[in-house]
Amino acid sequence: MRNRAKLFGFLPGLVGGLMLALLVFGTPAGAYHTDFQSQCNNSFFNYGPITRSESRNYAYSAAAEGYQWGGGCWNNDNVDQSPGDPPGDPYTRGEGPDCSGLTFKAWYERAETPDPWFRYHYLMQNVHGPYTAADFKYGVGAPNTTVAKADTVFADAFASTYHIGMIYWAHTGYNEDRIIEAKCEACGSGTWPRTYRGNPDYSGARRLYWA
Amino acid sequence: MKRTWRWPLAGFVVGGLVGATLLTVNIVGAFVGDPAGVVGPAVDSGFNGEILHTPPLLVPRGQPVELAYEVVCEPTAERPGAACSPKGSVHVRGVGEQGFANVPLAADSRGRLSATIGGRYTLGAGFDYYVDIEDGRGSSQSLPAAGHDVSQHVWIVADETNVDLKEHVFGRTRAPGEIVARAEWGSGDRHLGLTSGDEQARIGPSAFDVAPDGSVVVLDQVNQRLAVYPRGGAQRNVPIPFDGGEGDLAVGGGGTIYVLDDGGAATPIPVVRSFDGDGRPIAGTPIAEPVADMIRVGPNGPVVHSYPSELWFPTGIAKPPLSPADQTELARPGRAVEGGLEVVVHASPGQARFALVRGAQVVNSWLLMSSTSLGEVQLAEPYGDGLLVVFRLWTESQAEFRVLRLTSGGLADSFSVDRAEWAESASLSRFRLHGDTLYQLRSDPSGVEVAAFEIGGTK
Repeated sequence: MRNRAKLFGFLPGLVGGLMLALLVFGTPAGAYHTDFQSQCNNSFFNYGPITRSESRNYAYSAAAEGYQWGGGCWNNDNVDQSPGDPPGDPYTRGEGPDCSGLTFKAWYERAETPDPWFRYHYLMQNVHGPYTAADFKYGVGAPNTTVAKADTVFADAFASTYHIGMIYWAHTGYNEDRIIEAKCEACGSGTWPRTYRGNPDYSGARRLYWA
Repeated sequence: MKRTWRWPLAGFVVGGLVGATLLTVNIVGAFVGDPAGVVGPAVDSGFNGEILHTPPLLVPRGQPVELAYEVVCEPTAERPGAACSPKGSVHVRGVGEQGFANVPLAADSRGRLSATIGGRYTLGAGFDYYVDIEDGRGSSQSLPAAGHDVSQHVWIVADETNVDLKEHVFGRTRAPGEIVARAEWGSGDRHLGLTSGDEQARIGPSAFDVAPDGSVVVLDQVNQRLAVYPRGGAQRNVPIPFDGGEGDLAVGGGGTIYVLDDGGAATPIPVVRSFDGDGRPIAGTPIAEPVADMIRVGPNGPVVHSYPSELWFPTGIAKPPLSPADQTELARPGRAVEGGLEVVVHASPGQARFALVRGAQVVNSWLLMSSTSLGEVQLAEPYGDGLLVVFRLWTESQAEFRVLRLTSGGLADSFSVDRAEWAESASLSRFRLHGDTLYQLRSDPSGVEVAAFEIGGTK
């Protein structure tokens, strides 16, 4: 009888302790957002025209830095500080750009759409810019224009209504293009061989006024 | 303390410890307990950037060839301007020669580095080459990374079969003979996963292959599983670990399934994992280079095509598989196929060259020309005494795939196939050849299917 009483006392405590451990150490890990953007800044300065190579070097700094829908800042340590955020949610405040935000920053564009000139955005500046992928596809904004895909070269881009990626290296041995892009939450940002050039969903997009 | 609290408190402490232990074992086990839970190594060569180059691979006899390089330099500080000032040399060795000759690279006004290789190198039996580039910041790198130990190769083409496709006529596609697998979009048992949204790519199943028993295996990476379609049977799902956004898949002759995981946000290094026919993990290994686009199974096991070298890296059939260092030692510019042959491909918008080679010797080669822009080469597999090739033809507003059966006598047969690529797959994973049947991974807004086309002809 005494053992049964001990058991009746022990079991609720065991269940309670187990639940508390799972709640404290388990659930928050799944739901936790890093709020990476709280470390970001709003630093930029206007600058003269840059070369396509400088633009590609800048874009390369975003490789392996994650993807954040509507986002725009990364710390260039080649680690995504906020993997696994729910896609399509700008409020997760994770690391990395989205596709159009990466293009805006790597093309040194200004937030004022009638202004075609150049602006250096700090990697840690949390800015997306005013353009969507579709805007780039249709050449919206003074710095941007469309170009035949057959005439594109590196640091131009292929844009659809839903995605944009910049040419990192044109024409591999199998005649793909290596694209630098912020692809998706699971993909992150990086350089991958793609076949956007021959896909009619995609159009050629170009930044004007390179040095 | 009251005695009545003693046992509930003891239970509470034990429960807390058990819970914490379970979570710890689960987390650690995900990384070290599961042979398929491999993650890539940190790569630090000191060279903050990448050498970009497309190897020419197949060059007509006597024609000079330009080896061109560009260098990407990661910014090391928050400021604009040139990040580095690269320079270097390419090292060239004719087939049969012992030492490499040093040819300095010339830089043009926008930083592109190049050297023209001609003379005896393209009049002989081919040549090996590699490049050393110093970035002006105190670091240097070779491409391929193993330098003279595992160099790039150029085969000299003396006699090739010309195939001129002229202007492509769109809209005359062949309908599939059979649909061997189909599923709607979703995450249920009879679905295949789709990830999409504004400002991100629309990605469906990355890849597929056909097993020796005729089952179709689809890489449903969005749902982190393999979807298996036995001949005439219903979809069976096998959960697998998958970290990245996209990948590739190949099934070996023994039924082993090899999955290339591009790594993505979780780990930037691609990984190959192998599974038995029931989806049980066998082994996993990171790839020697940071970007990979294809996995295929050759006579000695799986090989992965990766960048920046564009070499084929074997990953091994054994457990443990080959380490990145072992892969680098065994990498090849051509893809090994049966009969001691390798398939070599080099394509550009105006023309494509295909060859079957044995060692340094070109056994058979074809030059494909087209007035319509050529896109990527989706497939090039031995077929009869020649090759079956599938590639894209495109204009600004249209695209189709073209299937060619190439024999030693020229073009034996060809037909066009609808591109059917509403959702993205891995870039070179839309077609597979199994026996006399060509399979295509197709998608539209309603879902995904695998279609079959009979090739025919003499195999």
